[in-house]
Amino acid sequence: MSRVLDVFRFKRRDSTIHALDPRSKFVLLVALSAASLILADPVTLLALLALEAAILRAARCLGDWLASLRGLLLMLAVIFALNYLTLPSHKLFTSLAMTMRFLDLATAFSIFFLTTTPDELATALEASGLPRDYTLMFTMSLRFVPTLARDLQTVADALKSRGLELEKGGLRKRLRNYVYLLVPLIIYELRRSLMVAEALEARGFGAVRKVEPYYELKLGGRDYAVIMFSCALITFLAYLSLSGHYGALLNEMLAHWP
Amino acid sequence: MEAIVVEDVYFSYDGVPALRGVSLTVRSGEVLAIMGENGAGKTTLIKHFNGLLKPEKGRVLVFGIDTREASVAQLARRVGVVFQNPDHQLFAESVEEEVLFAMKNMGLPLDVARERCEQVLKLMGLEKHRHRSPYSLSVGERKRLAIAAVLGYGPDIVVLDEPTAGQDFLNKCKIGGVIAALKAEGRGIVIVTHDVEFAAQVADRVALMAGGRIVRVGPAHEVLTDEEAIREVRLLSPQVPCTACMLRERGITLTNTPLLPGELYLELVRLLRRQAMR
Repeated sequence: MSRVLDVFRFKRRDSTIHALDPRSKFVLLVALSAASLILADPVTLLALLALEAAILRAARCLGDWLASLRGLLLMLAVIFALNYLTLPSHKLFTSLAMTMRFLDLATAFSIFFLTTTPDELATALEASGLPRDYTLMFTMSLRFVPTLARDLQTVADALKSRGLELEKGGLRKRLRNYVYLLVPLIIYELRRSLMVAEALEARGFGAVRKVEPYYELKLGGRDYAVIMFSCALITFLAYLSLSGHYGALLNEMLAHWP
Repeated sequence: MEAIVVEDVYFSYDGVPALRGVSLTVRSGEVLAIMGENGAGKTTLIKHFNGLLKPEKGRVLVFGIDTREASVAQLARRVGVVFQNPDHQLFAESVEEEVLFAMKNMGLPLDVARERCEQVLKLMGLEKHRHRSPYSLSVGERKRLAIAAVLGYGPDIVVLDEPTAGQDFLNKCKIGGVIAALKAEGRGIVIVTHDVEFAAQVADRVALMAGGRIVRVGPAHEVLTDEEAIREVRLLSPQVPCTACMLRERGITLTNTPLLPGELYLELVRLLRRQAMR
């Protein structure tokens, strides 16, 4: 589970992508996500993945992404299998496209989260006018994901030590075992959240209505280039799609598909 | 009798080494204290005792069974591990059910289970709370309940991770008493602790850990009075050997370095008598 989440966990690197303003990276994320949703064939989606891989390489995160990709493999296989088994026609073509689309989308989010700290994200959200209560809630929920994963492991270890075999038995028994796992986890996390809330208040959270940020976000030349590229990509793909050119290309591809 | 044998065990978390060639023996009928700085690998080591973690190199034998060839559930019958934080371990609706849970997993008949449950609740001073929710208990009571939940099914070896954390003096004494009772029954007890005074009171042997290695292992008296070794693992010597050291610095040398207050008392009486005779 934690390996799947690794694809979206910030990695500190000295790269141009890391140095970009979180807002321009957000625009890039929107563009790449829109592109993966507009495109519907495995070939162009593969080209999009190549573009994303190039961005990850520029961010010096390609290795991290490849390593944590193993965690996504099962999900990709499930998407492929479900599509393949349920589609009436063009089974391989569409299943491949759907799997690639999921991978492209996940990679787009991965680019954003691998190169943007939750704090940068919060600053960007605050700069766009979202109240601090909500931005803090968002950053803290991200911050506590690894802690939650560790707690889950500890609870599972404690249960196993008392002779419970989590992976054994029929479906009903397994579901009941997960109740044993969830009860301490939920209560522990509720207690923790109360403690965190108290700690926040003890350190003056909420004392001032409007907090001046320590770091001012500033868009540079590279940021404008990224934003322009993102806008151009969306406009180009939207034009192709709306004008029917992409539909024609898709039909031609399907005609030649083995 | 050698209950757990750890032979040259290596283990790492995602490439970060946690144990580097640890060898240790846990015997039935003795109390072994594992002590050391934070991050020394103490908890990682005890997780190898019931197969929660399997060694990357080397092996761990539990009553002759290689932990790599047995499930945690099989090993848990012989080795009961109580973790540090009770909140990670409790989930039942009542204190009684919490204790019965492991016994049910081990397949004990209900009447035997109830009898044992009664015994351990009394032993840990929780019999008044049997129908309460575990989460409504105080931290100290929850800690004792987590211990009771493992003692219930009577494992041959009981491993306690920081048993005295969050306990007042009286409850610390109670836990010390339980450890002594388990030892008298011939069970082996392993405690992981930073509490040097508690270790001095209850342990027969002490193993000191630092940087994933065992740096010293031996009789409690010998290890806990070795100031250099204690300092190496970033602990503070127990108060009695510390006092003996202060006396030595003032030119008063005791015949034997004491570990417990009673021993210090005897040494001082002996010293005063010697001086009176002179």
